[in-house]
Amino acid sequence: MARKIGVFVLALAMVGALCGAALAGDTLADVKKKGVLVAGVKDSLPPFGSVDPNTKQFVGYDIDFVKYIAKKLGVKVEYKSVTSANRMPMLMESRVDILAATMTKTPERAKQIDFSYTYFLTGQKFLAKKGTVKSLKDLEGKRIATSKGSTSEQNVAKAVPSATVLAFDDYPQGILALQQGKAVAVTTDESILAGQLGKLEKSRATKGKFEIPDIQISMEPYGLGMRKGDANFEKFVNDTLLEMEKNGEAKKIFERWFGPKTDSPINRGNFMITADRMGLE
Amino acid sequence: MLNYRFDWAVVTSGKYFDWILSGFYVTLKLSAVSIALSFLLGLVIAMMRMSHARPFRWFAHGYLEFFRNTPLLVQIFFWYFGSYKILPAAVNDWLVRQDFEFAAAVIALTIYTSAFIAEDIRSGVRSIPKEQMEAARSSGFSYVRSMQYIILPQAVRLTIPPLINQFLNLMKNSSLAMTIGVAELMYQARQVESYTFKGFEAFSAATFIYLALSFLITGLMTLYDQKVLQPIKGH
Repeated sequence: MARKIGVFVLALAMVGALCGAALAGDTLADVKKKGVLVAGVKDSLPPFGSVDPNTKQFVGYDIDFVKYIAKKLGVKVEYKSVTSANRMPMLMESRVDILAATMTKTPERAKQIDFSYTYFLTGQKFLAKKGTVKSLKDLEGKRIATSKGSTSEQNVAKAVPSATVLAFDDYPQGILALQQGKAVAVTTDESILAGQLGKLEKSRATKGKFEIPDIQISMEPYGLGMRKGDANFEKFVNDTLLEMEKNGEAKKIFERWFGPKTDSPINRGNFMITADRMGLE
Repeated sequence: MLNYRFDWAVVTSGKYFDWILSGFYVTLKLSAVSIALSFLLGLVIAMMRMSHARPFRWFAHGYLEFFRNTPLLVQIFFWYFGSYKILPAAVNDWLVRQDFEFAAAVIALTIYTSAFIAEDIRSGVRSIPKEQMEAARSSGFSYVRSMQYIILPQAVRLTIPPLINQFLNLMKNSSLAMTIGVAELMYQARQVESYTFKGFEAFSAATFIYLALSFLITGLMTLYDQKVLQPIKGH
């Protein structure tokens, strides 16, 4: 089955490469003409992107940024769920116009797609049962869960080479593996872990049993992903991000999802959206 | 027009070649173990299905309907994540210290495929005239012995072509094991893709290896048929 999907994706990738090459360049004009901005977002990763069980609407930090950009463009938004592994092909094959999917900026990725300025800054940490992980030493030779195709997977393989990395399709499966003792820790960006910890804290069976020890193995600047060489669109998105920082909208969104009263409180510190090139050097 | 630069060296040498190779090894191991087990289990289920003892027949019937008619992916998740709730804590602890991802994949593939194999074997057995069984029984063979010496050697011979299909399916289905983190071929190909963004090359290499494995299985089965089973039948 998966092999068939692989071949299918290949065929699509080839078609996509052809189409992509043919119409690369003017997403801004395209989106305005269509009246819809198609955004690739995570669908089960609060507080960044998830589906509200009551309203069935996408909600989250990533979603709010996309909404603002679409509002400024004067178009509607259509959300498409993406995973860490398929998001770049989805963008390159023009199945989405922009990626707002907890995506770390890296020089390797920047060879394939372009990134906006950093709109969120976090670092990779671990989520483990309380008291089991105090330093990286406690993870040596152990099993650590994460998500396929993420930078988390590559960072942890470097930071703890002796550990077995269990890569699942997305983070909730890793959390399940952690709960069942199949892994001693789940590793990814602190902001995502905070959201998962918030979910665990809500359930009576798991309340107070897990924690995020203060061990950081990398810096993770998130950027919005856009197709390569799409200069107009990029400038528009970047200008919008700077405007959001200036008029306080970016801070408001942060407080809405990570403020002290939320399920995943973290400190914004002195982070601000600026015309940076973090993660790309 | 095509703005993609092919770089086959990514998958033919160096670190990423090693990854693909280790994926190939795991796929081979996973397929070989599951093929052997599913054939044995399939034989047992087929015998139960044709048995005259009702409880056996009912059990086999339920087994067939249940495992043939639920998706393999669901079964893989069931054995890996779902079994946690029904097993005692000590067993879970022990399993985690083993290579449980691999074991869960073997269990799922074996049980799923054995249901199909059992049906193929049953239809093979049904095509042997029932007088042979009657003759064997009246010559003093027990049910199991008549099956073992008279019926099955002929039936298995007839079952070879559908068995090849089942074994090929099993080998290809083994790629689903990547969903629970078994580092088989498809997992490694995706890994290479996410590190290098050379998806075309990585998946081509995987496709090529799956194809080679398919030919290997077909070849081995045909050889077995010609060298071992044909002489038994006396052709």
